[in-house]
Amino acid sequence: MLAQLVRWSWIGDNLDDIGVATVEHLQLTVLSVLLGLVVAVPLAVLVRRRRWLEGPVSGIAGVLYTVPSLAAFALLVPVLGLTSLWTPVLPLATYSLLILLRNTLTGLDSVPEQLREAADAMGYRPLRRFLEVEVPLALPAVVAGVRVATVTNVGLVTVTALLGRGGLGAFILDGIRRSIPFPTSIIVGTVGAILLAIALDLALLWLQRAIAPWQRRAAA
Amino acid sequence: MSFWDRFVEWATTAETWTAPGDGLLALLAEHLRLAGVALLLSALIALPPAVWLAHRRRGRVVATVVANAGRAIPSLGILVLVAVLAIEQGFSTRFWPLIVALVVLGVPPIFTNAYTAITAVDPMVLEAARAQGRTERQVLREVELPLGLPLLIDGLRLAAVQIVATTALGAVVGPTGGLGRPIVRGFASLRGGGDVELVGASILVALLSLLVDRGTTLLTRVVVPPGVRRLQAG
Amino acid sequence: MRFRITALVGVLALALAACSGADDTEATATIDGPTITVASFNFAESTILAEMYAQALEDAGYPVERQLDLGSREVIFPELTSGDLDLLPEYVGSALSVGFGGAPTSDLDTSLADLRAAFEAEGVQVLEPAPGEDKNVYVVTGEFAETTGVTSISDLADAGDVTLAGAPECEARETCYAGMVGEPYNLTNLAFEGIAEGAVRISALENGEVEVAALFSTQPVITEKGFVALDDDQGIVPVENIVPVVSDEIVDAYGEDLVALLNEVTALVTTEALLDLNGRVELNAEDPADVAGDFLAENGITG
Repeated sequence: MLAQLVRWSWIGDNLDDIGVATVEHLQLTVLSVLLGLVVAVPLAVLVRRRRWLEGPVSGIAGVLYTVPSLAAFALLVPVLGLTSLWTPVLPLATYSLLILLRNTLTGLDSVPEQLREAADAMGYRPLRRFLEVEVPLALPAVVAGVRVATVTNVGLVTVTALLGRGGLGAFILDGIRRSIPFPTSIIVGTVGAILLAIALDLALLWLQRAIAPWQRRAAA
Repeated sequence: MSFWDRFVEWATTAETWTAPGDGLLALLAEHLRLAGVALLLSALIALPPAVWLAHRRRGRVVATVVANAGRAIPSLGILVLVAVLAIEQGFSTRFWPLIVALVVLGVPPIFTNAYTAITAVDPMVLEAARAQGRTERQVLREVELPLGLPLLIDGLRLAAVQIVATTALGAVVGPTGGLGRPIVRGFASLRGGGDVELVGASILVALLSLLVDRGTTLLTRVVVPPGVRRLQAG
Repeated sequence: MRFRITALVGVLALALAACSGADDTEATATIDGPTITVASFNFAESTILAEMYAQALEDAGYPVERQLDLGSREVIFPELTSGDLDLLPEYVGSALSVGFGGAPTSDLDTSLADLRAAFEAEGVQVLEPAPGEDKNVYVVTGEFAETTGVTSISDLADAGDVTLAGAPECEARETCYAGMVGEPYNLTNLAFEGIAEGAVRISALENGEVEVAALFSTQPVITEKGFVALDDDQGIVPVENIVPVVSDEIVDAYGEDLVALLNEVTALVTTEALLDLNGRVELNAEDPADVAGDFLAENGITG
């Protein structure tokens, strides 16, 4: 049934456009998750030093999470304009903030106290202890968070097509913007986004396992 | 007139709120109605199989796939696909395209959390319950569900917040989507002063999401038995 | 440890690579001068028109770059006036009203003059208008027209309770719904439904949810489905002749030859031609660039 809906020849003819859109989609996703990480990790470290911050910081991140994507983009348009890259990236980054923050905290908390003490006993200075002991052990949890944030963001990036951004969302909207609907374009956009999300998820899963080989047998 | 002046004027005009069918209050009602129906449907679809599979300690693969793949499905895609189906089959785009998209969004967190909630119950507690002579159904109803309730409701909370937020998307395909309508309309008339209702409606949707979030957290306090709550806290 | 660092670096490199976009490659040009950046709105007809101009220019040897499917005037106008974009196929009425907050009428000369003045202040020139227009039309189904006998918008007053489906922004516009329930039509029996996408509006019209739908006059689906376009007897719909607007910089750089070529292409754009070209793209799912190319070849502009 799906085969009848899809005009395969159109897909063949438009492969380069699909490719460009996928790259744009990937760019927006990666940029927003990276920005989220850049904010979340230092924030997590700060929260661990001053534990009383955890409530307010998580609270704010939680609030930012509840702001719906369409509304967030909409709110930023009068402020930043439609052409600024920040307009889609900023809201997308704030969604990822909550999960990245939580996972980084969990990851850092999961480092056994004895290990930290052992490192101190061996004469590690705080920075070295952080980089060589705590970060590697926290990494799997962080990467797991990055996985969830990335997959979620791939879906949210499709909404940026309403702002005139490219990405696979443009194919979705294109299918209904004509006088006569064109399902092939919609399916390309939807399935493309799903495949991209799954591909990124698997790549990050590989990364998660590669970074922590001692956890390979633990549940992913 | 500056943006702020125009915004204040818009927000303080009675008609903005009370216009029949198009006023913010009417749109709010529509928004809640659509979100509520979607949440209910998602729960009805997700909870029974999740609970049943978890109780039997089966279906781990299903649970993982639903969790991961479910998150990967773009709501906009489902919305537009079902809308096109509606157009070709001749039924209205007002209801089902949005509801289907919202249910697809809401089922994964409800399913995953319910499944995890019940499989996380300590097997020794279950063994003790069975040793006391309880039937399977009693074990489920009197032990697993109460113990799993906090996490289960958390799944409902996640779904509810996402559904309320995404309901606005419905305005992209038709005269629906509650508060999404002034957002889409504002977008289209930015140079003509539409930025005011764009911002206003967006703030309202954000507040609504927040309310739903805090509201379900409060619900947990009310619904979850005190003993279980103490367990979770300790 | 080293492997982990390498993996992290690899991910960062991938991310950075993803950050640098693909560069636009330019076709080989034989005329020396600044690159002409041709833009279009985010609908097929605009892209077809932009492709027409772009290909005609390329064929004549000008250096051309395309920025198509950009979005609405909110996005494009700032870039046009700042010089990032050079050529845009515009519509007289909408450009004046939506772009500058002006008040176009059904008189081409005055509207055009107003538009020229408005654009001149921004460093953009308005060339000759095309004979073809793409304006709002308000359509009813063939059956509805037969049973009620309506042929114009004024006739709707006697057609019972009717609803108009238009884009959400149509509700407040004098050229749209506002002009029908207020001056000059003053209809008291007309309700409004905001539906963003044309295909959904058509569907609502066909299954009887609404009686009137706002479409565009060059949408071939109108004749395909036997819709009847209501006569705008009171003239609320402004002229929407296609007209290319070009940045001063480009006109100064290339002079009369460029302008003459562009005007030559514009003269070919009739409403019938647009209907035909749109038909090929919308109904046959052909590519706008191909369709534009064929059109230019058939009319002797290119090879």
